[in-house]
Amino acid sequence: MDHQKIQKNKHRALPSDFSDLNFFKDLENHFLEVKDLEMSWIEFETPNLISNKEKALRLHFLITLTRTIEEELDSAFRAGHIPGTAFFGRGNEGASVGSAFCLKDDEWLVPMHRNCGSHIAKGHPPESIMAHFFGRKDGPSEGRDGNFHMGYRPKNITQLISHIGTMVPIATGLAWAEKYRKTNRAVLTHIGEGGTSSGDFHEGINFASVQKLPLVIIIDNNQYAYKTLLEKQYACKSLVLKSTGYGIPGYLVDGTNILLVNYICELALEMARKGEGPILIESITMRASGHSVYDKFSDYVDIEDMNLWLEKRDPIKRYDQFLINSGIVTQKEIEDSHLKANERASLAKDIALKSPFPKAEGMENEIFAD
Amino acid sequence: MNNKTYSDAIREALWEEMERDENVYLIGEDIGLGGGAFYITKGFHEKFGDLRVVDTPLSEAGFTGSAIGSSLAGLRPVVEFQFADFVTESFKMIVDFAAGNFFRKMGEVPIVFRLPAGALTSAGPFHSQNPEIWFFGTPGIKIVAPSNSYDAKGLMKSAIRDNNPVIFIEYKKFYNYPTSELPAPLRIEIPEEDYEVTIGKARILSEGKDISLITYGTTVLQALKAAEQISEEGASVEVIDLRTIIPFDKETIIDSVKKTGKILFLHEARKQGGISGELSSLISEEAFEYLDAPPIRIGAINTPVPLSPPLEKAYLPNTQEILIALRDLLEY
Repeated sequence: MDHQKIQKNKHRALPSDFSDLNFFKDLENHFLEVKDLEMSWIEFETPNLISNKEKALRLHFLITLTRTIEEELDSAFRAGHIPGTAFFGRGNEGASVGSAFCLKDDEWLVPMHRNCGSHIAKGHPPESIMAHFFGRKDGPSEGRDGNFHMGYRPKNITQLISHIGTMVPIATGLAWAEKYRKTNRAVLTHIGEGGTSSGDFHEGINFASVQKLPLVIIIDNNQYAYKTLLEKQYACKSLVLKSTGYGIPGYLVDGTNILLVNYICELALEMARKGEGPILIESITMRASGHSVYDKFSDYVDIEDMNLWLEKRDPIKRYDQFLINSGIVTQKEIEDSHLKANERASLAKDIALKSPFPKAEGMENEIFAD
Repeated sequence: MNNKTYSDAIREALWEEMERDENVYLIGEDIGLGGGAFYITKGFHEKFGDLRVVDTPLSEAGFTGSAIGSSLAGLRPVVEFQFADFVTESFKMIVDFAAGNFFRKMGEVPIVFRLPAGALTSAGPFHSQNPEIWFFGTPGIKIVAPSNSYDAKGLMKSAIRDNNPVIFIEYKKFYNYPTSELPAPLRIEIPEEDYEVTIGKARILSEGKDISLITYGTTVLQALKAAEQISEEGASVEVIDLRTIIPFDKETIIDSVKKTGKILFLHEARKQGGISGELSSLISEEAFEYLDAPPIRIGAINTPVPLSPPLEKAYLPNTQEILIALRDLLEY
């Protein structure tokens, strides 16, 4: 019966077909669990996912900070401060923050290029992120790479390279190191729905599954891989179904609900830490920006429909509403949180812009470690 | 003489390094229960177990990426490819991820890639290639290519202890050569005690004053043979085994050219795009005034590696053309 439900409900939020939100109606108060060839829709009430006020407000600050940092970066790009290009994760903030927030300090995060929120939640200082975007000395790569191609070693955040899919095997290897050392730590990685078509995605998950490695893989399904729509990307009903092919559990969640993502990731990471093997999570979001700042996405996205969708599904607006409706925070506290995030992002930008550009001297002698 | 083979040398280096450092582990296809395509790791699984001798699914890109990932966490994997040719599967992992990682300030990647390379009687286009020319233009990666047992063991130890990605090219043709049957300059007994061969240092196999013959890998044997023949004809050839391709030993090359004024480059890899092109340019830039003749380069011809014996023979460098080149240089 559950299988029928998946078939019945339209998953493809194609630009021409945005008004059909049936699929998301199911995801409003349900998530899908795929386990041992069984599928079950599990009902939940969002306000019940709020565990305490302190955490609720912390998540609120982080998700808001993520957006304001990206907005500052966008304006900095327009002002000419960002060499090269920039990618943003607008629309994905809830999934990024909600997931990385579950990681322990010494656990590895392997983010993708739309996971600004993951960096923020894992503790990458905003000024460091911005200095990196600006090509400055105080960014983690000291100007040797840019945009979201960065890691932050003090917080066990890996860098990523542009080749989509590559990071899944890298994350698998980090999880291997945890198994090797018997640490009971887990690794969290993100990939887009486009990346699931790559061979590396398969090779990484397959090896992790065979070895029962402590790895949680989140597919940020944001409807577009650059300019490619879902129908040209994969033929299965939902990417979470791929988990059955690897013999691992899968969860399909509304990625615009930060509390739900947080809840599921905590569950998944706990399973991984206990040695139960990898878990695949498909998180449905909407890319509310172009692929990069250079992408004229109105060429292939119906902006009006997208905005209609975002009215109901913008992760930050939704979280504001959840919190106010739950009654544990006041309107004032929400407003203060927004204000605080704005100030923090603006401060970070000022600091980053004061960072010097790196010096080119001696660069050639720094290709090898001692 | 303990008469160890090239395979013995690699095997001993791996075994001793695994005993020395618990972060060192082996990963690849069929290496555990099966002992590897060339039986280099036979017996390792019994001794070191599942975690340190890892049989992977058939997935070169995947296991290369995983090994690199684990090295970010401080492990020191040695990745076995069944044949060097299959490293193309893992190209992005090595070239884009591992090689530039340290430069991009994202940490050290201590890892060794074992690539069994080179032609071996009719192994065909996909089991015979010389991979160094694919990687030579990539900053941040070291490449070693030992020609004998002593160097194989010493370089493997150095590679494992190095904090950078190292491509270890091992020659299938040499696996079963006992040390006692190698030409005199390569007949070096493997000592009982621990030793390293420094990465980046060439070895002068025979001193000479008339021509520098610069080579590495399988063609070292041909070079020594040709040099011997020429010495019987009254001239002396200085044979240099590079041993390390990146970073190559510029000093030894330039010093030799300054002494002889004539130079022949020789490698099994294709001449077009081969290492000798870069080295030849280097000499033009830095030691032109010492040259008494234009440098000559010999390498395989510019085709894929063909399988049928007469074709393969025509593809590979042969001793006759080496002798002709040496005589031409002498007469120039």
